[in-house]
Amino acid sequence: MGTANQKEFINRIKMALGKPFAESRQKADLFNSEMSAESRAILEHIKNRNAAERKKLLETLIEAAGPINLQVISCDDISAVTGAIAGLVRAKDPEWGDQKSVVAWAHPLVERLNLPAALSEQKVPMFVTGSKSTADEDLRQQVIDAYIGITSADFCMADTATLVMRARPGQARSVSLVPAIHIAVIKLDQIIADLKELFALLKWDPHERREGLTNCLTFVSGPSKTADIEATMVHGAHGPREVHLFVISA
Amino acid sequence: MTKITTENYVAEARKAIKNQVLQRALADLQNRFGRGTAECYRQLPEGPDLRLKAHEIRMKTIENLDVVLETLAANILKNGGHVFFAKDSRAAVDYCLEVARRHQVRRVVKGKSMVSEEIDLNAALMDAGIEVSETDLGEYIIQLAGETPSHIIAPAIHKTRNDVGSLFAAKLDIPYEDDPPKLTWIARKALRQKFLAADMGTSGCNIACAETGHITTVSNEGNIRMSTTLPKVHMAFMGMERVAARLEDHDILLRLLCRGAAAQNMATYVSYIGGPRQADQVDGPQEFHLVILDNGRSRILADAEFREMLCCIRCAACLNVCPVYAKIGGHSYGYAYTGPVGAVVTPLLVGINRAKDLCLGETLCGACQEACAVNIDLPRMLLALRAKLAEGDPAWGVKPADRKEKLLWQAWSMMIRKRTVYDFVLRLAALVQKLMPQRDGMIRRLPPPVSGWTQGRDLRPLAKESFIQRWRKGF
Ligand code: SF4
Repeated sequence: MGTANQKEFINRIKMALGKPFAESRQKADLFNSEMSAESRAILEHIKNRNAAERKKLLETLIEAAGPINLQVISCDDISAVTGAIAGLVRAKDPEWGDQKSVVAWAHPLVERLNLPAALSEQKVPMFVTGSKSTADEDLRQQVIDAYIGITSADFCMADTATLVMRARPGQARSVSLVPAIHIAVIKLDQIIADLKELFALLKWDPHERREGLTNCLTFVSGPSKTADIEATMVHGAHGPREVHLFVISA
Repeated sequence: MTKITTENYVAEARKAIKNQVLQRALADLQNRFGRGTAECYRQLPEGPDLRLKAHEIRMKTIENLDVVLETLAANILKNGGHVFFAKDSRAAVDYCLEVARRHQVRRVVKGKSMVSEEIDLNAALMDAGIEVSETDLGEYIIQLAGETPSHIIAPAIHKTRNDVGSLFAAKLDIPYEDDPPKLTWIARKALRQKFLAADMGTSGCNIACAETGHITTVSNEGNIRMSTTLPKVHMAFMGMERVAARLEDHDILLRLLCRGAAAQNMATYVSYIGGPRQADQVDGPQEFHLVILDNGRSRILADAEFREMLCCIRCAACLNVCPVYAKIGGHSYGYAYTGPVGAVVTPLLVGINRAKDLCLGETLCGACQEACAVNIDLPRMLLALRAKLAEGDPAWGVKPADRKEKLLWQAWSMMIRKRTVYDFVLRLAALVQKLMPQRDGMIRRLPPPVSGWTQGRDLRPLAKESFIQRWRKGF
């Protein structure tokens, strides 16, 4: 449908810019097809980060998380995380209705938590968004019914306490959005400094750029909030009311 | 709902100034955001000058907009999305209706977007029998009340908790409640049903990324993520200028956008959306459409004097420092765009004569440029618009606005260039002023045509002796 339209539209722009119609050449540096020295240095820096620097990033993350009410819990090993999540599941009440159920990504790190076993004691079912055997519609209902959604993330930007998640098979976007509480689990080495590092990775790191941004790259910085009524800050406008981030050091 | 009412500027401004609630809300808003944003800029590692760099990035994109938009469109098509280039509001609305018809859409959830206000999407959808729900809490309140937004980021600042309580009680059939958290959760519950039932979600686009083929949405509430994740069709609207060439550009632009909009280092949710759900994914919309809108922007682009305006990323920082906006609020501006950005962009989009009061009303104090996330020289453009109004400009179809004013200034300029005439007029004025009603040594009222001057203030009378007379006497 668009092409004739598009041509006319773009020609109007060319005319406005005083460019001849045939010319479609760009300034050479409009899109950089070569990695800049700066980007190279950023990638080097990320790769060579030592343990002390990583710890420092974690501290920055915790500091940035405070004001936005993101709960960051740093754990030495994975079993501690499992215990803490089971504790949350026990302590928190569902927001809609009275049935407790949890939905989680199909993700290696989440699988290692071995949550279904830990939650079976409490008789809380856990659904995983990876199983292609489940019809999309049923899966949607499981996400809607769940009061806790459990994900991992691709990265976490320390500077602004921002989780970065790409859309992937088995890792539904709605898990970090629709349930009332979002729990994310990452490893210490997934923490990066800031947007600059993120974009350098996504654009230039040979491994990351293969996947690119995917069709939906999401940043989440703390729980949903609004101040639309008399400027009073309230958490839980539409997205999760609480976000808990577990960082595994080991 | 967005009828153009720029002609009512003066009447609306009067109303706003008398509205105590609004005045308090506006003052509070500027205190928080105006100052907060300035502080955020200062704390940037690069300092507030980062805004100059951002301006450069924006300008370079605008000057290559043809290539940038073609790249964006090609990349979105590659990811399975649809792109529609809309010459004007009509074309954009028709396209949306056509897609809605094809999918038998009955319910639409809307994530906030200035462009959809600009093209008056709500009215068109509702005329087609489609239920439209605003989902930003502020916008939702405004929609329930049947009003229009008064601020880009805080659309419902003119409503108190009691207003919202009564409104919810009446419209949602619930007991009265005026606790902001409880009110928020009432809306959360009501809107959750809307999100789950909607067939189409719409959104705007803050800054697209051409080289990767993504639009971005930014929100704190999560309503835009809901609108673009749950319904089966996602329709995004963007003004043709809202795009950056490279992903790297987003580092600076996004940081400044969040700081300018809400004095935040990062909004709660930012999404880069570049296409529909892929075959192996379990959620997300089945179709993704992007409507790229011209609607008068290419005309702005063609004029070197105003091209800079297309750098605007609609952060609303300029509203939060503008002394005029602080008093007259958003409704006076009579169109989707309010405050200093509205004072420049609205005349350019709807007609300079028609929206003349908007640019005449601003003070030229320069606060907007200092607050602007991308350092747009708004005062310069306000002046340029005023010049067009004074002199007329056939290229923009501007008729000189007020011949009397021009004559007055011509007479003034003649007078002050002749010492003798000037002295004579001064002496005459000293005599005439005795006839004016006075109190406490101040002139209370001037006669027409200059009566407007004393409408809201008293005038100090001319001194008995002029400075030059005293100088000559050697003090
Ligand atoms: S003119 Fe500048 S400050 Fe105002 S909305 Fe646009 S970018 Fe923001």
